[in-house]
Amino acid sequence: MSKIVILGAGISGHVAATHLRRKLSKEHEVVVVSPNSNYQWIPSNIWVGVGRMKSKEILFPLAPLYKKKGIGYKQAKAVSFFPEGDMTESSPYVLAEYVAGSSKGEKEKVTYDYLINATGPKLNFEATEGLVPGKNKTYSVCTYTHADHAWEGLKDVINQMKAGKKAKILIGTGHAKSTCQGAAFEYVLNVEQELRRHNVRNMAEVTWISNEYQLGDFGMDGVLMSYGSMSMKSSEMVEMIFEDRDIKWILGAGVNKVEDGVAHYENLDGEQKSESYDFAMLIPSFSGHGFKAYDKHKVDITDKLFKGFMIVDADYTAKPYDEWSVQDWPETYQNPTYKNIFAPGIAFAPPHAISKPRKSKNGTDISPAPPRTGMPSGITAKLVADNIIDSIKSGKESLHHKGSLGNMGAACIASAGFGMTKGSGISITTYPIVPDYNKYPNTQGRSLSKTFGNIGLAGHWLKLALHYAFIYKAKMRPFWWLIPE
Amino acid sequence: MTQRISKYQRFVMMNPIIQFFKFIYLSIRIMVVVAGGHGGTRKHVK
Repeated sequence: MSKIVILGAGISGHVAATHLRRKLSKEHEVVVVSPNSNYQWIPSNIWVGVGRMKSKEILFPLAPLYKKKGIGYKQAKAVSFFPEGDMTESSPYVLAEYVAGSSKGEKEKVTYDYLINATGPKLNFEATEGLVPGKNKTYSVCTYTHADHAWEGLKDVINQMKAGKKAKILIGTGHAKSTCQGAAFEYVLNVEQELRRHNVRNMAEVTWISNEYQLGDFGMDGVLMSYGSMSMKSSEMVEMIFEDRDIKWILGAGVNKVEDGVAHYENLDGEQKSESYDFAMLIPSFSGHGFKAYDKHKVDITDKLFKGFMIVDADYTAKPYDEWSVQDWPETYQNPTYKNIFAPGIAFAPPHAISKPRKSKNGTDISPAPPRTGMPSGITAKLVADNIIDSIKSGKESLHHKGSLGNMGAACIASAGFGMTKGSGISITTYPIVPDYNKYPNTQGRSLSKTFGNIGLAGHWLKLALHYAFIYKAKMRPFWWLIPE
Repeated sequence: MTQRISKYQRFVMMNPIIQFFKFIYLSIRIMVVVAGGHGGTRKHVK
């Protein structure tokens, strides 16, 4: 009998837990440790943030589902890791602290045979002075509660515009090293559409602010894609959309301070600038959770497990951009020191960025961190679960399932506006996610037959279909496993 | 505002009948890319 503990119940953690439970017999224990009581389908947060969906439509409580399916669940947060156990506990364990219920505040040693760290990122708002969701007229759509607040803020500004006040709206990244530009991109287009729907578009100046060097970088060094019968760069596509929607843009901007209605930033020329606004949605930087790890003698071994995020089978050798390669990226998400620990999704430490790193003239790093959200999170979680299942069933370590971001495709269905007849979406597929410049030297590291873009109403329907399909899958309804990650 | 998307392109993008067929086409094409498998990138020497 084996016990698999999964830290986190986001896309990655939940995918791993559900596949493990389906494929392993009941003699094996699957336990999820998560401080969150609800599962949330994060990609739909942008619709909550413009008031077109209620947050209850994108979430459901985890406890009843896990109880019904035989998955253990502890509403607790991981505090520290003891991969060798300690002097009194011979099994490896994670020290977890309960965050709700009668056990709130109590700590428990949660032992395991296999550990999946799917804790995702810490939303590091503190890294930008004054960037607090709901304060200084800034908001976030990173969680459903943030998105609810964002809609309240946006609604207020829309009402002010209806009363005749002109307004400035600023959307983008709130730190020089932020990632997840895609979510902000979706949000700016949805906000712009909602302004038109409320007949106040002419009262608003909408501005995109980003740490990207070029539009459409998205933390992936941009994409050259097939678009209809021609090829188009993502920068050209986004520029076309922004010009068509009258959205201004500020690029190479590292936001470093937010005051009431003013975002201060440094640009790549080293200039310190400010942008005023009446409503802002700025994505924070992501960081690791600051976990500590100890060996059985309680000696600190954090550097064996963490490098901000968790260390896995990547090549972390520091090297210049020209020497980066897809082979640097992990394939199995297994920690090299403790081989029963895995970290899929956002929880693994990337070997380096994907976009070319850039510094301002003052030496400040201003470029996007690599995205690992959404589809790659699900795919990497499933392959980690499959390797653990194979290892348990065969009685020896099996790492047959591999999935490097350098050999994996992803689809990004970016909403550009909500509505069954008025909506729009930008569908982009990318293969591979990390460009392979050796394999595809003439097409910016990507396969043009598998990397394409499309704009239109069908994109909205696709995004909506994915919303319902993935919530159906997450609820483990009949034949849920037939829906791919 | 700079009109970068022509009226014809906009018609195609927003016409529900054309977009219905586009929806089917995109669903299949995306499925091929995403469910088309993934793997490693390194050569493993045994």
